[in-house]
Amino acid sequence: MKNRLKVLRAERDWSQADLAERLEVSRQSVNAIETGKFDPSLPLAFKLARLFELRIEEIFEDSGSGSEPASQQASESAN
Amino acid sequence: MFGSGKSPAQRRFVRASLMSAGLVVVLALVAAAAFRLWHLKGLPAYPVAVLPALPILWVLIETGRFLADEKDEFQRNLLVQCLLGGIGGTLATTTIWGYLQDFAHAPRLDPIWVYPIFWLFVGIAWPVVYRRYR
Repeated sequence: MKNRLKVLRAERDWSQADLAERLEVSRQSVNAIETGKFDPSLPLAFKLARLFELRIEEIFEDSGSGSEPASQQASESAN
Repeated sequence: MFGSGKSPAQRRFVRASLMSAGLVVVLALVAAAAFRLWHLKGLPAYPVAVLPALPILWVLIETGRFLADEKDEFQRNLLVQCLLGGIGGTLATTTIWGYLQDFAHAPRLDPIWVYPIFWLFVGIAWPVVYRRYR
């Protein structure tokens, strides 16, 4: 599942370890989620959404729908 | 096994695994000495014979505790995949060996080896699983 974690993390100048600490998971977990190799559970996805003050669909892209994450869609439609 | 920055659940699991490995050896020596000294037979022999298996049961319980207590779902997922690798490898090995015994008169595989075979396959699965998420 594609996501914007790397961008969101970079915007806040957080390392993977910083994000992992905030989520109370391992750095490997953050890396696996960020690279799309591991899909987080709903509780962890909500935790991420709360942390970044975004909706889940603004962070994760439903690969089945063939659409970009919601925030990307919004910024593209505004342009 | 879990890399750096171990969680409390991981530390407990690793500690239990290491301690149990030592305990198996110690209790096996104790049981062997008890049988040699007292020539145990019948009912009294049962609890002494089972002694070396107790640390193994402990590790199995600790494995379950790890899966219940570990807060990091990704780490749980890694261990579950490795355990499945261990189960698959053990089932395949023992099944193949069973047929080899029956039809090709291969040496008898003592059930005592099932547990080490299981962890051997868990150990083989670990780097394979881990590499997928690097």
